[in-house]
Amino acid sequence: MEKLEKIDATEKGRNYRILLILSVFIFTVPFWAGLIPGSILHMDIVNLMVLAGTYACAVIGLNLLVGYAGQISLGHAAFFGIGAYTTAILCTRMAWFPTWLGVILGGLVAGIIGWLVGVPVLRLKGHYLAMATLGLGEIAFILFTQLKGLTGGTLGILNIPSLSIFGLEFDTEFKLYFLIWAVVMLMMLLSINIICSRVGRALRALHSSDDAAEAMGINTARYKTMIFVLSAVFAGIGGALFAHFLNYIDPASFTFFLSILFITMVVIGGMGNIWGGLVGVIFLIFLPEVIQGLPHWIPLVPESLTNFGNYELVVYGLLLILFMMYMPKGIAFGLSRGTSYAKTKFGHLRDRISARKYEGH
Amino acid sequence: MKADEKRNRVLWCSIAVVALVIALALSLKGSKGLQWVISGLTVGSIYALVAMGFSIIYASTRVINFAQGEFSMLGGMLMYTFSSQVGLPAWLSFILAVTVVTALGAGFERAVIHRMEGASVVALIIVTIGFSIFIRAVAKWIWGTDPVKIAAFLGEEPLRFLGASIVPQSFWVFGFTAVAVILVFLFFNRTLPGKGMRAAAGNPDAASLVGVSTSTSSLLAWTMAAALGAAAGIIIAPINFAAYSFGVMLGLKGFAAAILGGLGSAPGAVVGGLILGVLEIMTAGAFPSGYKDAVAFLIIILVLLVRPQGLLGKPEGEKV
Amino acid sequence: MSEQDMLDIDGVTKMFGGLAALKEVSFSVNRGEIKGLIGPNGAGKTTLFNVLTGVYRPNAGSITLNGSSVTGLRPDQITSMGMIRTFQTIQLFEGMTVLENTMVGCHTWTRSGLFSSGLKLPGARREEEKIREESMVILKDVGLDTRPGEQGTNLPYGQQRMLELARALASRPDILLLDEPAAGLNQYETGELSQLLLSLREQGLTILLVEHDMGLVMKVSNEVVVLDYGKVIARGTPDEVQNDPKVIEAYLGIEAD
Repeated sequence: MEKLEKIDATEKGRNYRILLILSVFIFTVPFWAGLIPGSILHMDIVNLMVLAGTYACAVIGLNLLVGYAGQISLGHAAFFGIGAYTTAILCTRMAWFPTWLGVILGGLVAGIIGWLVGVPVLRLKGHYLAMATLGLGEIAFILFTQLKGLTGGTLGILNIPSLSIFGLEFDTEFKLYFLIWAVVMLMMLLSINIICSRVGRALRALHSSDDAAEAMGINTARYKTMIFVLSAVFAGIGGALFAHFLNYIDPASFTFFLSILFITMVVIGGMGNIWGGLVGVIFLIFLPEVIQGLPHWIPLVPESLTNFGNYELVVYGLLLILFMMYMPKGIAFGLSRGTSYAKTKFGHLRDRISARKYEGH
Repeated sequence: MKADEKRNRVLWCSIAVVALVIALALSLKGSKGLQWVISGLTVGSIYALVAMGFSIIYASTRVINFAQGEFSMLGGMLMYTFSSQVGLPAWLSFILAVTVVTALGAGFERAVIHRMEGASVVALIIVTIGFSIFIRAVAKWIWGTDPVKIAAFLGEEPLRFLGASIVPQSFWVFGFTAVAVILVFLFFNRTLPGKGMRAAAGNPDAASLVGVSTSTSSLLAWTMAAALGAAAGIIIAPINFAAYSFGVMLGLKGFAAAILGGLGSAPGAVVGGLILGVLEIMTAGAFPSGYKDAVAFLIIILVLLVRPQGLLGKPEGEKV
Repeated sequence: MSEQDMLDIDGVTKMFGGLAALKEVSFSVNRGEIKGLIGPNGAGKTTLFNVLTGVYRPNAGSITLNGSSVTGLRPDQITSMGMIRTFQTIQLFEGMTVLENTMVGCHTWTRSGLFSSGLKLPGARREEEKIREESMVILKDVGLDTRPGEQGTNLPYGQQRMLELARALASRPDILLLDEPAAGLNQYETGELSQLLLSLREQGLTILLVEHDMGLVMKVSNEVVVLDYGKVIARGTPDEVQNDPKVIEAYLGIEAD
């Protein structure tokens, strides 16, 4: 059925190609990034990319939930935090505990909790769902702070061991980079497959209309819960990797602002665009660094920008507003519009040709 | 009409529950209970004002304004600047602070919300979150991070009342909230623009017949919400201090109260605010204080699961 | 009910507030027939559809599909049992292509879940191919196979109606509930629709048809049920119904055109 594959509009083949090219690019970054002298770069690309990779896990899942299934969550920092605390507690309390198992359990525990809260909460819609998930995020944050015996309270957990898989130590950023981005790319692959499948179509259908989706035999409650749990698992894994990367966590890393940051990454990158999450994460992680670097690169830019951290949030807030006003579909959509313009012109022709072939059958 | 009856029943039930809780606190804990109730109602009044801001904007534009708490924060900080730093009299500082915040709210509506007609719910949520981050960052820049103290409007000496001590500012809070609630009620039910705004939410054509376009309605709503929010922030400041970061929690609590009462319902906002305030203080008495917010949010989620449209809200379907 | 009944509606009542939108409605749809359901605006036809498909729960009465009760089940459960509907106002899925919209219809008879789809297991892959193949065949049947990659919501109105029909057919239904499928169609398109409905009946599909276009209803229906103020006021062959004085009074007398 090759021809049918071609006229399928889900663009699966194209996404696989992008994924391949992107993987090749991403996995070469650490090799050349180190070669650029620090006096020019003024940022630690590998370090930033590792951080971006942990966030990307959460954002990819969230994009499936918000962008495809249309269910908002303002509390995903909770699942990120649950993943981080799960592995941190296990690996610091029991020195023998395999760290890779901690990461998997981090995802699992986040998923189980996601299921427990998702079943009741996903019956809510729109702003009410936003409120409920926001509340869950706050509750999780308070528990991280208050369950002192377990989480170490506001001091957090120190000396979290680095990741190691069957004796293979990921104790440097350089090594960790490959592991984390391999996980991210795996999640991307899963997402692409899901979106272009029966499950993905069911999710997009219920995004468009609950009633029409149910009329097609789709158990909307079940699918909402399913994707909520999957996004929680992704976030949990991301959080666990985050804990092993920093070797230290405290509740301040998992506040309401992180939930907002995740949502913002999805939206600025491009909601409902499979690449949107990744684009959003990388854009928002590197933006402050680039602005701080400007005075080094361009002589006319005032030196005071190197203290960008002081008014980073002013720019950040403005940026959110401007993006929503002038590019509400996100960066990824803008990027793909250019290429798809050429493709649609070509595509119409292609459709007509393949249609003629069908009539011949 | 059946739905209205049911909502009335819910209204009375929730009032009865609150009354019961209060009575219980009074009988079990005596003057300490009274103290709790009064602090709870004070905080609750502020939540109610913030929640009304959420509801007014939501009712006329279907936007959740996540910057609502920042209006209150700005109100408090400006009050500090005008009264303590510049040295203006309290009443003038109050008017000036409210005016500045109101202008900011109205300006944001014209510059941003007005131009985003037809945008998705998520986009509008993000825009207001962006606005709140912006306001907070600017406030931090101007005023720094330390909380500031604002003098009470009428003396600091606590009054003794049946063994409980009450700060006089509480009476300002109660008085102002009552007046604001009545004014908002009269505006929406007795004046032509108010009725027009209510109509504009449901039926733009009918609204334009009485001379209120959705555009005017949206501007009016943001203006009122900003004014209410600023005033709430100013009158609570002498009790709670003021700092650039205080808007976040106040906004979350106000939002929670609005959702609890039923988004878009002004009476719901008041009921939701008062319930939340009393609940918080009560749970602070019963649980370790760190869990105060957790219990409040947990109860809201539970209420939503039983009544997905909030206590006094109208059921409706919507999607993100 | 008899053996040959596909759908049996028995004493269904639906109240809104204090008002009865449906009052003890009873009739059955035989296997392999097209049953017309007509009545003036507000007679309760769409309400009946909503009760049949589980959107509303009836206050009284029972609904039996293919010998098993579906009263009080969820819409998705009822659809999975072989009864699928279309909507009076078109409800295509936004952001999905013509082909994808049809593929959603295949949901009921496919099984791939999150894991098999995500990991692209051979079973899921085979199923996906089958879905795509069958969807293309159905699109060809309704004449929409020329531009499968077009956004569904970008199609002209008449074609959107046909796409909704295709999507419903993709679920391999036993009985099809059509809510005014000819609304907004021009004369030519209505003619094609009636041909399609007749050929679907040939293939053994049972259809319950709500329609305002009397010409269409009378042409394709084996039997017609007339609803007025939530009650069945007449039933019979198209000829009998058209000559029934009660019907003429309630309906045709006012709206005959």
